[in-house]
Amino acid sequence: MQSAPQPEELMVRYQQGDAAASTALIERLSPQLYRFFLAQEVSRRYADDLLQDTWLRVHEARHTWRPGEALLPWLYALARHVRVDHYRRVRRREQREQPVGALPEIAAPQPDAAASGPDLEKMLRELPESQREVLVMLKVSGMSIEEVARATGASAGSVKQKAHRAYERLRKLR
Amino acid sequence: MTPDRLPEILPGETPDAALVERIAAHIARDVRPVPPLAAPGVLVCMLLAGFAAIAAAGGAALGYFGVARLGAGAIALIFPALAGMALLAAAASVNAMAPGRPRPFHPAAMAAAECAVMAAIFLLLFRDYSLGRFVPQGLACLKAGLLWAAPAGAAGSLVLRRGYAVDRPAAGVAAGSFAGLAGLAVLELHCPNFRFWHVALWHLAVLPAGAFAGWAAAYFFGSKRRAAELMQ
Repeated sequence: MQSAPQPEELMVRYQQGDAAASTALIERLSPQLYRFFLAQEVSRRYADDLLQDTWLRVHEARHTWRPGEALLPWLYALARHVRVDHYRRVRRREQREQPVGALPEIAAPQPDAAASGPDLEKMLRELPESQREVLVMLKVSGMSIEEVARATGASAGSVKQKAHRAYERLRKLR
Repeated sequence: MTPDRLPEILPGETPDAALVERIAAHIARDVRPVPPLAAPGVLVCMLLAGFAAIAAAGGAALGYFGVARLGAGAIALIFPALAGMALLAAAASVNAMAPGRPRPFHPAAMAAAECAVMAAIFLLLFRDYSLGRFVPQGLACLKAGLLWAAPAGAAGSLVLRRGYAVDRPAAGVAAGSFAGLAGLAVLELHCPNFRFWHVALWHLAVLPAGAFAGWAAAYFFGSKRRAAELMQ
């Protein structure tokens, strides 16, 4: 049985102009990127938009990834940047908008409570954004400490410290 | 719950399949071959070659009066330090132009450290603390330094133009301080005024001025881009 190509392999083919590889890459990595956005309080409401923006940014910057390098730190560095950019844009837009009285708030789609466990959201919400981000990259995306450090522009020591503090906090909340 | 159980719990949350399909179809329409960026080592070497060429051209154009009057010990201290810092600044510039590359220090902290190191070297070498014609001579040096930093900045942006900076202001600071170091190297080759305050203030000012110009350029182009995005 032939194993599925690695994301790095797909990215090389994507850079070479293979549209099927770009589709396969998007299908493969979108779930983990989506979870990355869902895990952050500031990006949860806009996870769909952020996912779309991230892939457009990946498309624009795809030549800056070099074959032989790990793909995930590169991808997550872009995703983080998209999130920050989006947050600033939304804030600017909201500052410009005039209040028009009390409008009924449209509820954002909530993840299935049964699937995610009753306390998980609450427990994760207790963590500071930076610790939550590191935890999701390490535990959900399966990145190494070094890869997370590269994606977040921090040192490996700082990532280890954030992860350690997040674990400690989660254990206390259990 | 333990942290190890996170991945078991979270995979239930997946994006809408129709959304993923739409993104993939949109991107697939525009897929064409793109050559990846050159290796970081190649880009750093190109930047350093530009740095050396501009320093040499600046010295030749203005005259190598400074280096001719410096002692061997001072030459052995100043120019290797400048070359080492140019190497660090070039590496920081190259790393800032691709997402997910290591960044041990923020470029602004690095520029501040470069200023501190050069100030310490000048303090060690130059013991004349007089201030005769401090401002007119200083302004002439600052002008010359900035004039020669500008082509270094242009050459740097030519080498790095295909990059994609996720943190544009930081990338601007890195490229700007690289250009500022080229301007400083020209001044050290040219200027025979070895008064401490002259060198420490007017020569060194080229470095933060270059870093600031890099930051301002990145901010300006970044806000133009953001405005274009908001209009969409």
